[in-house]
Amino acid sequence: MRNPYTGAIAGVVGVLLLSALAAGQNTQNNAPRSPWRYYPADRAIGDGGPAPKRDLSGTWAGPASGSGAPRQKPEIVPPLTDLGKQLFARNKPLGKFSPGGTNDPHSRYCDPFGLPQNMTQEIRGMTITTTPNRTFILLQYMDLWREIWTDGRSLPDKVGGRDKDALDPKYNGYSIGRWEDDYTFVVETTGLAPETWATKSGYPHSVEAHVVERFHRDTKNDLTLSLTMTDPKFYTSPFFLGEVHFRWIPNQQLDDFTCIPSEQQLYLKEMGDPAGSDPNETNPQGVRGGRP
Amino acid sequence: MKTKFLIVVVLLAGLAAIDTPSFAHHGAAAFDMTKPVVLKNATVTEFLWINPHPLIKADYKDEQGNVQHWTMEMGSTVSAQLIGWTRTTLSFGDVVTLYVWQAKTKAPVGRFNKVEFSDGTTMRDTQTGADDGGRADTDVRQ
Repeated sequence: MRNPYTGAIAGVVGVLLLSALAAGQNTQNNAPRSPWRYYPADRAIGDGGPAPKRDLSGTWAGPASGSGAPRQKPEIVPPLTDLGKQLFARNKPLGKFSPGGTNDPHSRYCDPFGLPQNMTQEIRGMTITTTPNRTFILLQYMDLWREIWTDGRSLPDKVGGRDKDALDPKYNGYSIGRWEDDYTFVVETTGLAPETWATKSGYPHSVEAHVVERFHRDTKNDLTLSLTMTDPKFYTSPFFLGEVHFRWIPNQQLDDFTCIPSEQQLYLKEMGDPAGSDPNETNPQGVRGGRP
Repeated sequence: MKTKFLIVVVLLAGLAAIDTPSFAHHGAAAFDMTKPVVLKNATVTEFLWINPHPLIKADYKDEQGNVQHWTMEMGSTVSAQLIGWTRTTLSFGDVVTLYVWQAKTKAPVGRFNKVEFSDGTTMRDTQTGADDGGRADTDVRQ
């Protein structure tokens, strides 16, 4: 008697075999290698051993880089104040409204994400470098950099508002950093430009928002970032923004990838707007990025 | 016996889940994902290698002889590169068969699925590959 599962099992084995063949073809590509290109299939092997102490320097690949970095842990639904609820209700996120119906300023116009979205969206390549009094984070997406002071100064207490000595809000805010232990670098930021969204889902933030980022170097090849935001104006308690994993890039190269306003307008005109918006549809998009 | 059956069902369900398209930059709510439209022997009029999504523009002659002007998007440039696409993969005048999930508005736009070239080879979009976490080398969909 024919085993009723034979066909199904053969199908499963066949699909797995095809996947393995596809992987093999990719990794056996003998095309000439350039030291100037990023090769996502050239991944760091294993954990590389113990992490060096107090050192995050180098170029890292995020979950959207083809690096095999683990999938990121998404934000939690935050507890909004009444004012926060009013602002949130105005925002039409891309995931629900599609390019044709969203009012996400980045998706429509390539406006800056700002912090914290710079560290949670489009997480591709990231380079970290240090000087005696600052740490710089250089992000592949949008070719932007962040400045984190490590000279012991405190965060500014007056950003925005009408005081003559008040500082202007900035897209990446004002940041200070310190080593919490030999493997965990903690960055605190405030003074964020309030016109940006805190998350892809359209949650808002104020100038007074206080973001804490914890960069933990788990091993030589693994780096984990977790983010929390406190913003009493819009949220009744601290808000977990997510956890992002990075892997060391062997040849330390990155490619260009940026949002270009003229191309974005062309895309919306030719494709995004004619496709329309269906906000009532349950979005099949899953958690993005990385390995489950 | 029941256990074996359950294992098979779970494996198949897992594979089905992997094959469900998911889009990185935005969802698929605007598209009819039930069945791709097939544009047989369409002529490429433009291949725009742009961000956030490259666009394939093609003319397709329907059964009544009317020419439809289609535009479709695919995964981002950096993600498409991971599975072999370049800015010259398609060019003006190429005659190909295109599979596309059309917009629910019924406008001739949609999410690109795959292309069949005249030599019989096929290239797919990135939606379950690189753009969803850079898994191009292990999860290329054929």
